[in-house]
Amino acid sequence: MFSDELKTFRRLGFRHFLLQILNFASVITSGLMLWKGLGLILNTESPIVVVLSGSMEPAFYRGDLLFLTNPPGQRYHTGDITVYRIPGAEITIVHRVLETQDVFIPFDNSTENRIVNNRLVKLKPPPGEHQLMLTKGDNNHVDDIDLYRGLEWLDRRHIIGKARGFLPYIGYVTIAMNDFPQLKYALLGGLGLLAVIQRE
Amino acid sequence: MHSIYARANGISGLWSTCVMVLLGAVALSSFLFNAESKGSLDIVSLKVFHSKTRRYPFRNEEIGFVKFNLSADLTPLFNWNTKQLFVYLEAEYTNAQGVNNTVVIWDRIVRRKDDATIDIIQKEKYKLRDLSGSFSNVLPAQYSLKYSVMPYVGVLTYGEAARTMKAIDFPDARDSVS
Repeated sequence: MFSDELKTFRRLGFRHFLLQILNFASVITSGLMLWKGLGLILNTESPIVVVLSGSMEPAFYRGDLLFLTNPPGQRYHTGDITVYRIPGAEITIVHRVLETQDVFIPFDNSTENRIVNNRLVKLKPPPGEHQLMLTKGDNNHVDDIDLYRGLEWLDRRHIIGKARGFLPYIGYVTIAMNDFPQLKYALLGGLGLLAVIQRE
Repeated sequence: MHSIYARANGISGLWSTCVMVLLGAVALSSFLFNAESKGSLDIVSLKVFHSKTRRYPFRNEEIGFVKFNLSADLTPLFNWNTKQLFVYLEAEYTNAQGVNNTVVIWDRIVRRKDDATIDIIQKEKYKLRDLSGSFSNVLPAQYSLKYSVMPYVGVLTYGEAARTMKAIDFPDARDSVS
């Protein structure tokens, strides 16, 4: 089945094989550059996310694609759909902002808080202007306090971005690959093999 | 173009290009519809009680209960690219320390054009609670009805449909049993 390919392989030599690997690597890295460049322009960690849970139905179903921006000076408003990650949690959550408070935390030079209550220091935001937020999924009955792992409010630094655009269903491939990791390995293995074997 | 692989390659390339152009056109068509919607909003009653929430049973807090009279016609916002409308009623106020708060007290999802007229007198869905636990130092609040249009494909847009004429002061807190 592969005898033709193996023959041309031997004819072209080892150098050609290395060249193919380099081509493959350059395709992968240019894709990565595009992704990270987009993230830099839009000031967000991942400019395109896939909705993972059904907590925003009927607006967003599992597998929908969201385009995020996170302009640094812009205030978030109630009703915005934000994607956030709690430090210590691995998953990102897509929910709508229910309440916002603009607070100014003064610089606290006292050391008593640091010694007495370690947990308080970890949860306390650094001094300066802060926008504290509370979120809730459209399909949930209560707000997200239980998901905050001890925090009472979300801070701006927990937020990855605000959803501006929307594409339905496209992200289902990512979810399928997460649920069936064999699919991911099969796809990657097949692509790698194809890239190396093909002559162009 | 003489092998199955080449044919499949060509067809799938053309198909994906066509789908992407179509989705882009649908997303851009949303910008042609510049509909706005107007309505009226009145606060019927606003009461503040000393209360404890179920979540923080050991804190003495003042909770605000709002009853509002809302009528809005949101049908102009529905076009072929509108999947649903998310309408929410929010209260904006500043407390004495200068902290700006915006709190959503009621929301609704509107999925069809037939359901897009709202004419209700209703109580809030989410109770008003201040970060500091008390409404005594709070400046009067403005209430507004905002909406968010969610398209089938494209950019999410926001707007405001109604607003109270003047800011409404928070009354003094009462005890619930009286």
